[in-house]
Amino acid sequence: MKQGEVLVDVRNLKKYFNMSMGFVKRQRPVLKAVDDVSFSIARGETLGLVGESGCGKTTLGRTLLRLYEPTAGKVFYRGQNIFAYNRGEMQRIRRKMQIIFQDPYASLNPRMTVSDIIGEPLDIHGLVRGDDRKERIHELLRLVGLNPEHAARFPHEFSGGQRQRIGIARALAVEPEFIICDEPISALDVSIQAQIVNMLEELQDNLGLTYLFIAHDLAMVKHISDRVAVMYMGKIVELSESRELYRHPLHPYSQALLSAVPVPDPQVAKGRQRIILEGDAPSPIDPPGGCRFRARCPRAKAVCQEQEPTLRNMGGGHQVACHLV
Amino acid sequence: MAALLEVKDLKVSFFIHAGEVQAVRGVSFTLDKGESLAIVGESGCGKSVTAQTIMRLIPTPPGRIMDGSVNFAGQDLVNQPEKGMQRVRGKDISMIFQDPMTSLNPTMTVGNQIAEVVRLHQKVDAAQARERALEMLRLVGLPNPERCYSQYPHEFSGGMRQRAIIAMALSCEPKLLIADEPTTALDVTIQAQILELMKSMQSRLDTAIILITHDLGIVAGLCHRVLVMYAGRVVESGKVEDIYYRPQHPYTWGLLKSVPRLDAESKRRLVPILGQPPDLIKPPAGCAFAPRCNHAMRVCLEHEPPAFPVEDGHQASCWLLHPHTAGVGAAAGLEVIS
Repeated sequence: MKQGEVLVDVRNLKKYFNMSMGFVKRQRPVLKAVDDVSFSIARGETLGLVGESGCGKTTLGRTLLRLYEPTAGKVFYRGQNIFAYNRGEMQRIRRKMQIIFQDPYASLNPRMTVSDIIGEPLDIHGLVRGDDRKERIHELLRLVGLNPEHAARFPHEFSGGQRQRIGIARALAVEPEFIICDEPISALDVSIQAQIVNMLEELQDNLGLTYLFIAHDLAMVKHISDRVAVMYMGKIVELSESRELYRHPLHPYSQALLSAVPVPDPQVAKGRQRIILEGDAPSPIDPPGGCRFRARCPRAKAVCQEQEPTLRNMGGGHQVACHLV
Repeated sequence: MAALLEVKDLKVSFFIHAGEVQAVRGVSFTLDKGESLAIVGESGCGKSVTAQTIMRLIPTPPGRIMDGSVNFAGQDLVNQPEKGMQRVRGKDISMIFQDPMTSLNPTMTVGNQIAEVVRLHQKVDAAQARERALEMLRLVGLPNPERCYSQYPHEFSGGMRQRAIIAMALSCEPKLLIADEPTTALDVTIQAQILELMKSMQSRLDTAIILITHDLGIVAGLCHRVLVMYAGRVVESGKVEDIYYRPQHPYTWGLLKSVPRLDAESKRRLVPILGQPPDLIKPPAGCAFAPRCNHAMRVCLEHEPPAFPVEDGHQASCWLLHPHTAGVGAAAGLEVIS
């Protein structure tokens, strides 16, 4: 972890969804999307969050911003518990915490011009008016590599990569400190992905931003992150400095996940031993007791069924939740 | 031995309100029995249209095959009447699509959908078709095939649906399987399962595979040969080792340099390909990649480069390979490989 101030500190965060199944209202199954998750992010750091679809990584990101109301837990932003904030306080703190969404087609209002889209957060927070507002919008467009002359255009006139730049400009408009990047590149072509990732890195260097980078592309997460957290069924199963995690993954799930990533090198690909996991991730609705990974784990033992493993420190900030390590 | 599939100078256009979109602009390649070929490129480069044209699945209108030939095991598929194509599809050539959610019929049980394909193409009765479908479900590793047979697609997860589709595609033991981004919608752990399955099915049935993808990673582990497409043309083709270790075209260099590697020890900045692909309503006069190319020369903007042979089976369409510019190209290529 980078030296310095802890910007975001998440303690025992839970987010459960009540499911109503058909007519039977008496039994309400509970979907535990995020179940007792704790971690912290230092100022200027990028924390990567990886896991399969449905593991709760997006829910975690949204709950951090209180886009979903948390079931339990605390999130401290610069030492203040934002879950105790009222509406007005929450709105003020959102200026500091922004989010970039996955789908650049769905996250921009098709009836608004680019200038309206980027200007909206400026108006909501009452930051600039009149000519200054226009100037600020142009400045933001230049910052993300778009032509300010395009401010009057509509989202449909832009390509996917350009739309994602508009979404980033909107997030940057209020001068945030912390940005949650929720799969910002997975809808883009490979050559465009590199453009966006490089831009996010440059913006971080120039503006001192802190990122929570959510993605399922493990190679890209390794590239951009200082530390990486691996999530499985609502839990963080391993958290470590990024190169350490990729060199010495300790949790059997992290090992399988990493070995499943294809490597663009024919000789390496041929010689590599893959750990193929059996089956799919089980349903997070009323998950089984004990370790949640045990049904797919090649090394599961009796203890895994009886006790739920907790995150333990293995030295050097490398944390893992597994009985067998 | 004659090739199983021979595509020659294929040109496909779509006529839309704004004009003629030249989606495929002269694609040629061959495929042998049991071989696997990857077609890589970004969205809009014409890789899916090429595959759909082989199967004659492009919607007409607005699509039209403008020129070229597709020869499959001695049959000309471009001029084949629709009736004849129906005999080829599913029997000799099968296709797997990207989205396993939408390529199954939601109102039919999975087993009946597979049995339907078998009955359509083989002279078997209902009981035999059912047996064959069960055997395929077992072969693709679905747990409890009896139960899967009578389940509906919505009861399956994404990975299970893609397995069922592979079972259906291979039920008549086709000579060619076209897989159009078969794992893009799946998680990496499920992707690894599906790729392993395709590999084992290929060695068991000796099926030729065309894998269409934008992911250079999955190509390296599965395919023998690679076609790199850009703006409706093949810009480079060769054996998988040629493309990864001795790439010649600047677009291939760009593709390889713009993705981070999981096994990279030190962190390096990604090298993106700047700009956007060209508009295929008005394709550029010269090399289509020239506006985004760091090595573009004046000739690139004016004249389309021909395919220059590099070594046996490896060729690239780039003026850097012309004898007059060979020094420039070699120097630029060295920088990429290091």
